[in-house]
Amino acid sequence: MLQIRNLKVDKAGKTICRVDKLDIQRGERLAVIGANGCGKTTLLRVVGGLENEFSGLCQADVPLGDRVYVHQSPYLFRGTVLQNVTYGLAARGMSRRDQRSAAHRWLDELGVGHLAARQCATLSGGEQRRVALARALATEADLLLLDEPLADLDCEGMEFVWRAIAAVAGSTVVVSSPVPLVEEVLPATLRTYRLECG
Amino acid sequence: MQFFWDGLIGAAELLAEPDPLVLGAAWRSLWISTLAVCLAATIGIPVGSLLAQKKFVGRWAVVVLFRAGMSLPTVLIGLLCYGVFSRQGPLGGFDLLYTPWAIVIGEFCLALPIIVTWTHSAVSGLDPRVAETARTLGAGWLRRWRTSLSEARLAITLALLTAFARCIAELGIAMMVGGNIKHQTRTLTTATALETARGEFDRGVAMSLILLVLAVIVTVPIAWLGRQQQET
Repeated sequence: MLQIRNLKVDKAGKTICRVDKLDIQRGERLAVIGANGCGKTTLLRVVGGLENEFSGLCQADVPLGDRVYVHQSPYLFRGTVLQNVTYGLAARGMSRRDQRSAAHRWLDELGVGHLAARQCATLSGGEQRRVALARALATEADLLLLDEPLADLDCEGMEFVWRAIAAVAGSTVVVSSPVPLVEEVLPATLRTYRLECG
Repeated sequence: MQFFWDGLIGAAELLAEPDPLVLGAAWRSLWISTLAVCLAATIGIPVGSLLAQKKFVGRWAVVVLFRAGMSLPTVLIGLLCYGVFSRQGPLGGFDLLYTPWAIVIGEFCLALPIIVTWTHSAVSGLDPRVAETARTLGAGWLRRWRTSLSEARLAITLALLTAFARCIAELGIAMMVGGNIKHQTRTLTTATALETARGEFDRGVAMSLILLVLAVIVTVPIAWLGRQQQET
C-alpha cells in the first residue's frame, strides 16, 4: 500500500528525516518511534501529502483525500465538538443523520461522548486531542496518520485511543511516538519502525 | 457655546417631531451604505481570501494597491465617479449621475479596499493547520474556502462594520455624484453640510445626532467583536 525508498527531507541545509526502506501493508498498524527531532512528524507529513519537498520515493496507492493526518498539536475548528467530528464525514458526502450517529459512536469510542455539545474552545488539551482523533477515525479513511496521539493523555485516555485504533478495522494506521514512552504501552499487534536521527 | 446649546435644543425638538426630510435623508443614508457594503462584500470577501490563499505573479502589487485604496479621500473617489458617470464619461449613457445609484457605486469603491484588505490579512493570518486539517479530512476547495472564512469570521465581520461606518459617514462621494438633491439623493451628511451652510444650525445638529447614533450602533459591535477576537 505504501512504499518508501531512500526518502530524504532537507531543511535549511540539514537533513531532518531519512528513511532508507519502509513498506506498509493495507490494514497494518505501524508505530514510527524515535527520539525528538528525528523526523517522525516530517515522515508522516510526507506520507500525508502535506510535505512535498523531498527526494527519494514515497508511493502510496491511496488518494490524497483518503490520507487523514492528525497534527501533533491538533487544530479544532470553531464550533462544537459534534460539528468538528462530522466535518470529515460531511466532506465525504455522508447524510446528516449518518454523520451524527457516526460522530457519536466515535466520540463514545474515545470516551468523550459527553462532550458532543461543548464548544471546542472550552476543552482541555487531552480532551481536544481525543476529539481530534475521533474526528479523524470517524472518517475511516484508508490511511490514518496520527502524530504522537498519546501526548497529553492520561492512562485511561491512552487505553481509549488504542481501543479506538483497533476498532478502525478497514484502515491502515500509522502512529508516531517518542521512545521509550511508547514501547511500554504499545499493543502487541503493532509493528514498530525505529527512525534514526540524521 | 450658547450657539451650540441652542442647536442641541432645536435638534431635540426636531427629533421629537420627526421631519420627513430628516427621516428621508436618514433612511437614504442607511440603504445606500448597506447596499454598497453588501455589494463590496460579495466581491471583496472572495477576492481578499483568494489573495491570501492563491500564489500568482503580481499578487503583492494587487495587495498593496488595495491597501493604498483604503486611504483614498472620498472626494477623489467622488471625482473619479463623476468623470465616469458624466455625459462625456464612459458610463454617461446610463444617466446615473445625481442618482442614489451613483452614490452606491461610489461607496462601493470606498468599501471594497477595506473589505479586501481586512479579509486578506484575516485569512493569511490563520493558523496553517486550518487549511491542512480541512484538506486532510477530505474537504474540497469550496469547503476549505468556507472553513477558512468561518475561522476568520470575526475579523471579516469587523471589516464589514468598519466599511459600513466609513460609508455612512462619508460626504465627498454623496456630494459630488449625488448632488444633494432634495428627496432624491440627499443623505444625512450632505444634508448636515447644507443646513449648516444655510445657518439652520439646529437641523444640522439634529442630523449629526442621528449620524452619531448610527455610528454608535455600529461601533459597539466593532468594539465587542474586537474584544472577542482578542480573547480567542
